[in-house]
Amino acid sequence: MRNSFFILKIICVMSITISDASAQLISATEIVKRADEKFNGEKSSISLISMTIIRPAWQRTLEFKNWSLGYNYALTLITAPAKDIGQTFLKRGTEMWSWNPVINRLIKLPPSMMSQGWMGSDYTNDDLLRESSVVNDYNHEIIGEDIIDNRLCFKIKMNAKEEAAVVWGSQTRWIDKKDFLVLRTELYDQDGLLVRTETGSEIKTMDGREIPTRIELVPKDEPGNKTLLIIKQIRFNVQINENFFSQQNMKNVR
Amino acid sequence: MMAWRNLWRNKRRTVITIASVFFAVFFALLMRSLQLGSYDHMFRNVIESYTGYIQIQNEEFKDNSTVDNAFEFTSEIRQILLKDKNVTDLVPRFESFALASSGPLTKGVLVMGIEPEKETLLSKINERLVSYRLSANVIDSLKRLDLPDQITSRLNLFKEESYSSASVLQLDLGITDKEASEVMPVIKEIASFTNGYISQGKQDALVGDRLAKYLKLNIGDTLVMIGQGYHGTTAAGKFRIAGIVRLPTPDIDNKIVYLPVDICQTFYNAPGMLTSVALNIKDDSDKKINRMIASLDKELLPPLRLLGWREMNELLINQMDADNKSGGIMVGILYLVIAFGIFGTVLMMTIERRREFGVLVALGMQKSKMAVIVSFEMFYIGLLGIICGIIIAAPSIIIGQNNPIRFSGEYAKIYESYGMEPVMPFMPISYYFLWQSVIVAAIIGIAIIYPVRKIYKMKLTNSLKA
Amino acid sequence: MIWKTAWKNVWRNKVRSLVVISSVIVGVFAGVFSIALMNGMISQRVDDALNEEISDIQITARDYRTNYDPQLVIRDPEETISKIKLTEGVAGISERIILTGMANTAYKSTGVQIVGIDPEKEKQVLKLYTKLIPGTGDYFNNESKSSPVLIGEDLAKELNIIRYSIDSSTLVRLKARGLPESVMAKLVLLRGKRFTNERQFIKEMKALFAAGESKKYGTVIKKEAWSFRNGARFILTFLDKDNNQVGAAFRITGLYDISNSVFEKSTVFVKNSDLKKLIGLQDNSFHEIVVRISDLDRTESITNTLAVKLSDLEVLSWKKLQPELALMTDMVQQFYLVFGIIILAALAFGIVNTMLMVVLERTKEIGMLTAIGMNKKRIFYMIMLESVFLSLTGGVAGMIISFIVIRITSNTGINLSRYAEGFGAMGYSALIYPRITLGFFGIVTILIVITGVLSSFYPAVKALKLNPVEAIKSE
Repeated sequence: MRNSFFILKIICVMSITISDASAQLISATEIVKRADEKFNGEKSSISLISMTIIRPAWQRTLEFKNWSLGYNYALTLITAPAKDIGQTFLKRGTEMWSWNPVINRLIKLPPSMMSQGWMGSDYTNDDLLRESSVVNDYNHEIIGEDIIDNRLCFKIKMNAKEEAAVVWGSQTRWIDKKDFLVLRTELYDQDGLLVRTETGSEIKTMDGREIPTRIELVPKDEPGNKTLLIIKQIRFNVQINENFFSQQNMKNVR
Repeated sequence: MMAWRNLWRNKRRTVITIASVFFAVFFALLMRSLQLGSYDHMFRNVIESYTGYIQIQNEEFKDNSTVDNAFEFTSEIRQILLKDKNVTDLVPRFESFALASSGPLTKGVLVMGIEPEKETLLSKINERLVSYRLSANVIDSLKRLDLPDQITSRLNLFKEESYSSASVLQLDLGITDKEASEVMPVIKEIASFTNGYISQGKQDALVGDRLAKYLKLNIGDTLVMIGQGYHGTTAAGKFRIAGIVRLPTPDIDNKIVYLPVDICQTFYNAPGMLTSVALNIKDDSDKKINRMIASLDKELLPPLRLLGWREMNELLINQMDADNKSGGIMVGILYLVIAFGIFGTVLMMTIERRREFGVLVALGMQKSKMAVIVSFEMFYIGLLGIICGIIIAAPSIIIGQNNPIRFSGEYAKIYESYGMEPVMPFMPISYYFLWQSVIVAAIIGIAIIYPVRKIYKMKLTNSLKA
Repeated sequence: MIWKTAWKNVWRNKVRSLVVISSVIVGVFAGVFSIALMNGMISQRVDDALNEEISDIQITARDYRTNYDPQLVIRDPEETISKIKLTEGVAGISERIILTGMANTAYKSTGVQIVGIDPEKEKQVLKLYTKLIPGTGDYFNNESKSSPVLIGEDLAKELNIIRYSIDSSTLVRLKARGLPESVMAKLVLLRGKRFTNERQFIKEMKALFAAGESKKYGTVIKKEAWSFRNGARFILTFLDKDNNQVGAAFRITGLYDISNSVFEKSTVFVKNSDLKKLIGLQDNSFHEIVVRISDLDRTESITNTLAVKLSDLEVLSWKKLQPELALMTDMVQQFYLVFGIIILAALAFGIVNTMLMVVLERTKEIGMLTAIGMNKKRIFYMIMLESVFLSLTGGVAGMIISFIVIRITSNTGINLSRYAEGFGAMGYSALIYPRITLGFFGIVTILIVITGVLSSFYPAVKALKLNPVEAIKSE
């Protein structure tokens, strides 16, 4: 009798604990995966984005419309400023093409050409072609929690796996507990030195989802350099075909 | 006084001793002149073919040669530079990178925006224009001529090769100098290549021969380029290929594109800006250059600064300096040889005159006085030797300047194709004359020690016995 | 009889003889040493390039060199290699796969040429494995999970893999090297800071120190602050056999340092087997076969033999691959020939002068001998014999001395690097190893000896012509 009562107590305690701690039992890897899928897990998207490149001596803002399908296909059309209107970039797998209406030519961009940032920004070749996976190429560990912008976040340490083809040695991500939004990422090199910080803010609802619409990229070693991305509009899971991402379409897209 | 008369008492001995000094000075001057001349010649070739002696640049440009480190070339800057009397001309340049495209082929290229006429003052680009090409048609025509067999057999090896100089063409086809006078004029005419040049304001380009071949482009075709412009803008443009150059360094030849500087500025969205301005100067001595840099630096505001040729060619200078040091060792060896020549002669002379010294001292002359006399004798000998050496060496060097030592052989021709004259020039008369004389005088000075010591240590009885 | 007299005469007047012998010794030494030096300089240039970059002969498919198209492989390498092996004069063979790709770190990306090698075979053709900076790795000998790669120190600098930091142990080491207190005090301000690239480090240093201090101590400080974490990783990206981009992590197993910085910045070496796996290459094809030959002087002939045997491939010798090298060699040889002639001329005149002096000094003696009635011809022979003895003695002694000096310096080298000063001029190896062939050695010695003998001809004749009475009277 005493035994069954005892067991009942334990079951009660456990069920309470279980329901309370349901969020805590999720693994670090799972957290990162969910956060990643917020953006990249969607089958496709169409977005309107403005990118501002900030340097000590100057500043430039580009606006473009972006179509993407899965990981492999993307088409970008520059809509501002006037000088660059009509330029398009096509990504298919790890190949990239550029169309320039001024010279009316389609040019294939070799990877070596992109050792500088894209369009002068801090986004590198690696970022654009995104060959590495945050989920599969890293080991994840929850190391704490912080509050950013009034949101409670998991603080997750990601260490690159030995054979993974990632340039970063490790990353620290702050992922919002409620909506799994990545609010801050610190990227470190192989020796653990901070190289770049990315922050997401101005969380808005777009196409039924909560996403950070303002993303700032700040390289540590270059004071005064920053790239600012603002998502003005985005729609997910739009119907786009693979054929859309073609060289012919680069000239036609509006 | 007595020293002078002593000298001429034994003419033969004196003449021989003077001769040893004379030879020393003569050879030292000759060798030094050749060394300095060759060193100078090598330097000039390198400097004058690309960087020039002085340039102004944005101070960040040297470490980070992106378009963003160009500077605005205002008329104020132009005036400041031209005010310096040593400046004869300004050669502007805009250098950066781009992607060239032709059909499915893309290639990273070096773009050089130049002022077509001014640039010839510096890099002699006009001499690099392709003048001859062994296209398939040309080879067929040449085969139909009655050329010696070993020339014809080589024609196929050099199919589609382009040449800016006839001497390299001659070399490649294995034509001897003897055959050349008959055969070359015909070959040159058949293989001649119609080329063009670029000019300000026209959307034209000059491309390297190997680059043109890779992109399968010829004169009149269109070259498409895109790249990163000033402040992150996109650079894009189409250019008509007006001319083809052939640079001796394949690694540059396969990626070089020359544009007129104004067209280049527009391409990179950097109107009125340049990445460097080279100054053509009259007096290129180190002293003058350093003075120019010091005074102009004061007038030019940062981020502009002036660079001397040494700074711009650091790596090459190090290599050449190291080379020169081994030349220094060779001069050292020469000094060793001539020092011995002088020492030997003086030694013999001293020994020979031991008796004479002994007698004089026995007669009552003070040792110190005799030492002085002997020193004076050596001094006169040295002076005469040095003067003779200079008198003979100077005109020899002047003659040599007009007839420098020429190199022969096939490598001489290749050297020429790099735009450098394969000669060993003499350095014109200048400060080194003084230095060499001083060194020889020092050697004599040391040589005097021996007889002087001998005089002091002399034991009368021994020397009289001699 | 004359021989004995001549010999005795030589040693009678020790000083006089010693002067002549020394002149000859100096002459032989000067001549031999300058040629050895010249040879050393030229060989070093050539050897460096051949040992470190291109080896002696490179064989590729026709047209491969135009654009380095990875599809243009050498189809049947086994057959080709066996043909090469059978060629006389071949001392080493190594096959390679070559791809163009990018090296990426968290900071930068840069284009590189990726050379897949068989590490052991490669040792036969290039001496790059001897150019590894000690402590940076063990060539390809370590087993590790990631694929190993050998890169140049300059590339590591370019990619921000080399760090500069001043920590406590650095300060201790610098102090031990004798840096003055004032400099050490300033350095302490930098303690704990880590610089990811050389330029920033130098900039901060220059801001901290006065110009004179920078120049004097800059190099030493930079050397001690240099740090490399063994086994640092970076990513190589390149195209596989289907033109898809592939990326893989590679672990650095050694930094090589050679004088050609362009090569160092752009060439990385990996294992053939690793590369093949990554690009999906099944068969045994290669892009390039590198050959080392036993005797550089036979470069032309061996190259031609191979070219004929391997008629569908392109066979290029180092002379064609780097014509500037052959050019420079030839130019420098001619330069030094001119200098050599001047030195020999100066020498000849020196010896003539000395001999003149010596013989004329004996005018009195000769006069006496003539007066006694000695045959003039015999006197002449005697004098000439003495000259021969003197020159030979000097010649032999000179040869021995030069031999020893050259032996020593060809092992230790003559160090010119103390002329490279300041921040900028680091790392150019200016070590010269003089060397000379036995042939040259012999020729120079013989020339000098002959000069010695001939130069006494004139004065001997002159002395003989003198009237004996005059001769005895003379002073």
